[in-house]
Amino acid sequence: MVTKTYEGINQRIREGEAVVVTAEEFVEIARERGAKRAAKEVDVVTTGTFGAMCSSGAFLNFGHADPPIKLGGGEIYLNDVPAYTGLAAVDTYIGVTSLSTTKGMEYGGGHVIEDLVRGKEITLRGSGYGTDCYPRKEIETTITIHDLNQAVLCSPRNAYQRYNAATNSRDETLFTYMGTLLPNFGNVTFSGAGVLSPLGRDPNYETIGVGARIFLGGAQGYIGWEGTQHNPTKGFGTVLVIGDLKEMDPRYLRGCTIHRYGTSLYIGLGIPIPLLNERIAEAAAVGEEQIKVNLLDYGAPRRDRPVVREVTYAELRSGKVEVHGREVPTSPLSSFKLSREVAQKLKEWIQRGEFFLSAPVELLSRDSAFKPMKQIAEVPLVREIMTKPVITGLPDEPIARAAKIFAEHNFDHLPITDKQEKLLGIVTSWDVAIATGTKKKKLSEIMTKKVVVANEDEPVDAVARRLQQHGISGLPVTNTKGEVVGIVTTEDISKLVGRRRK
Amino acid sequence: MTAKLLLRYSPEALDKPILARVIRQTSAEINILHAELDATKGEILVGVEAPPAEIEKLMYLLKKNGIDAKKLERAVELDENSCLDCGACLSLCPTGALHTKKDYSVRLDEDKCILCEVCIPACPVRAIKITKF
Repeated sequence: MVTKTYEGINQRIREGEAVVVTAEEFVEIARERGAKRAAKEVDVVTTGTFGAMCSSGAFLNFGHADPPIKLGGGEIYLNDVPAYTGLAAVDTYIGVTSLSTTKGMEYGGGHVIEDLVRGKEITLRGSGYGTDCYPRKEIETTITIHDLNQAVLCSPRNAYQRYNAATNSRDETLFTYMGTLLPNFGNVTFSGAGVLSPLGRDPNYETIGVGARIFLGGAQGYIGWEGTQHNPTKGFGTVLVIGDLKEMDPRYLRGCTIHRYGTSLYIGLGIPIPLLNERIAEAAAVGEEQIKVNLLDYGAPRRDRPVVREVTYAELRSGKVEVHGREVPTSPLSSFKLSREVAQKLKEWIQRGEFFLSAPVELLSRDSAFKPMKQIAEVPLVREIMTKPVITGLPDEPIARAAKIFAEHNFDHLPITDKQEKLLGIVTSWDVAIATGTKKKKLSEIMTKKVVVANEDEPVDAVARRLQQHGISGLPVTNTKGEVVGIVTTEDISKLVGRRRK
Repeated sequence: MTAKLLLRYSPEALDKPILARVIRQTSAEINILHAELDATKGEILVGVEAPPAEIEKLMYLLKKNGIDAKKLERAVELDENSCLDCGACLSLCPTGALHTKKDYSVRLDEDKCILCEVCIPACPVRAIKITKF
């Protein structure tokens, strides 16, 4: 039986005797010699991840101006990016997803943090309401990280243990926090460092907890608490991390823009896993072909997205996965190269005796679950507000029939289907109006063939957004078989809003 | 001079040996970088090594044969210093011009690039840029 202690391992680090390997190396060692023997030979396994982590930010303290100003309760902008002002006079928190008021998604809180770490000058603009003790109402100055009293990276949720992969069943490109998702299952994106994932290497959290020293943004930081949305029962643990921004390296903190989604911050984070016993070693020896996640369809705008299939990180990493019998290219969103570099760097720190392990004062919880938001009103589904049954037309019918229907029923959209009710196109009253005086006779000649549709099980909010994005006033509603079962219009949605206000 | 030409074929032009014919009439050296042909359309990206006047002649001949020939005035460049090697661009690249090396660093093979530009906004750190020739 192998049993080691933190003190024992630290003593070996001090003496330059500790055996430290990266998680990638450890998996190979364990494959060759078995996890038990590997547990005997290896003291510490280093992990690393490098991904966009949206629940991140930094506490900053500016010191007092003369005359003093109370920015708390007022407004603070750093390079035009709004920072939190619900703290005392000159403390703030800059979150990475906060967007510039002038540059929008091109520059945000993540970029401010990177620029601070690079030592660049940042424009601070602030205002307060003025009090007897803080008479000043406005301030504009420039600061660098060196001018700040404290600059502390403190992220409430970093380093997801693993993350579900993403794809898109819709016939339009989606821009999500999982990157650009091409239509009709055109690509797959995934996040996380697989075999190098810090929490994934110690999935029972036997060494990960409050007070554990870690690699954070190129400096030594700590785990401060379990992360928000920590979901150990499903294998999606997270950590709250904290560290001195002034010590960090811009190579491991990079502001970023996720196209048409928002800004974030790429963070390099690594946790050392001491192999205290064989059980820990066995969990740390699991290969990428055994780390499974679900591939989710982001085409469904719901909280519980449909699972397309289960995939392993080994498949995702290979560059192609099979989706419905077709090979689909994959994109990692986390940098495996930099994840590797983090694990390697942490390994070298320990080998050189510059980094010692700290025993957590409390381990992460293993039995909590992540609950959904409590909502006092359910969002209605399309099927509840759509008009049905719907009158449809056939492609060979004359345009005059559509005109007659529009006049008699006082509506403006006529879905065109085949005899099996499968949708072929749509004709609006406008199409009919502009066809008068032309030689066109049949509905097929004037119908729009690329029809934007709604599914009967979608929430109304998603459909309202689609109507707005396409600048249209109505959508045919289809069921899973592609048959037209109703129609939903802007009018149906405005009626609903009226109902909500009552 | 090297130029990149994007040749768009109409369905009618697809079954004729136009490119072969045109090549024989000029001294331009043509390298096919990427080709996508099916029943409805055809697109060929070629690199041409020739003096400017010869390139003009080549384009004239192609157009005369019903091919929409466009000289690409831009190039895509990957700034390897700011690239995070995250790979967000990889699955968006239709030709495999953006690819990874063994050590998982992301590289751009400019010859394969057809300038679709899908990768440009998708890069989280704006490391892929359009440059003018």
